[in-house]
Amino acid sequence: MTIRLIRNCTALSLLALLLPGTLAYGQTRTAAAPSLNDPQIAHVAVTANAIDIELAQLALSRASSSEVRAFAQTMVTDHTAVNEQAAALARRLGVTPEDNDVSRSLRDGAAEARRNLEGLRGAPFDRAYMDREVAYHQAVLDALDQVLIPGASNSELRALLEQVRPAVAAHLDHAKQLRAKLGEGR
Amino acid sequence: MSRIGKLWPALAVVAVVSAAWLWWSAGAAPERAPRRHVVEIRGFQFVPPALEVAVGDTIVWVNRDFVPHTATAANGGWDSSEIARDGTWSYVVRERGRHEYFCALHPTMAASFTAE
Repeated sequence: MTIRLIRNCTALSLLALLLPGTLAYGQTRTAAAPSLNDPQIAHVAVTANAIDIELAQLALSRASSSEVRAFAQTMVTDHTAVNEQAAALARRLGVTPEDNDVSRSLRDGAAEARRNLEGLRGAPFDRAYMDREVAYHQAVLDALDQVLIPGASNSELRALLEQVRPAVAAHLDHAKQLRAKLGEGR
Repeated sequence: MSRIGKLWPALAVVAVVSAAWLWWSAGAAPERAPRRHVVEIRGFQFVPPALEVAVGDTIVWVNRDFVPHTATAANGGWDSSEIARDGTWSYVVRERGRHEYFCALHPTMAASFTAE
């Protein structure tokens, strides 16, 4: 239960930072969504991918379910491919991704998730990791739709984000399917 | 009766059977040449998601996404293994019926083809 609460709070804190009006910790947020320029949007995208790769690598060494390990391997492969695309685009455009509050929040949330996951083994790890993947991909999908894609000024950056969207949506559906299969053991 | 005369009933039977075969084969649907069908994998979807083919046709999957995918039979009968970005894989259809398949890396991606 504690893990689940922390997981939800992590996802919501990301959403609260990225999306206006999101309920976080039971409060209504009224501040406007952060205004990000293209180098900052690129940094958020790269950070979001890197975080999921790092957690997937932890899952590859800890998960007991072969399906969860296969999911984690797909996350490493796909998010690495996205970041290669992003790096190639940044080089072509001569843009240096710029750190920002959203990226920092993502990293803080990831560190918290990692601390919690590192205390788990076996089936409880599998369930907590898949819970985290469901919440994280949902948050990233919402961020893409509501902040990152509409906020990107450069057409190539926007096209890249639009290309990434179906991948995130497919990962989310896969994560939900797999999480449901794992059941609710303790 | 001459020798030819004795063979006449047998020759008549051969003639009738041959005529019947010619008539049947002329009336039957002509065999069509095997075709090639292309399924594009893009945006984490198989396009088109359903296909009508014939036994002997070839289906070619072309991966337009930036990540690897597979085309894997739901019944385990065939599997492309990983199709890399811009890679292709082809399969010659061998059995009639509806064939469902999915991407083993992203199992929510599913499609089918029906072979006549």
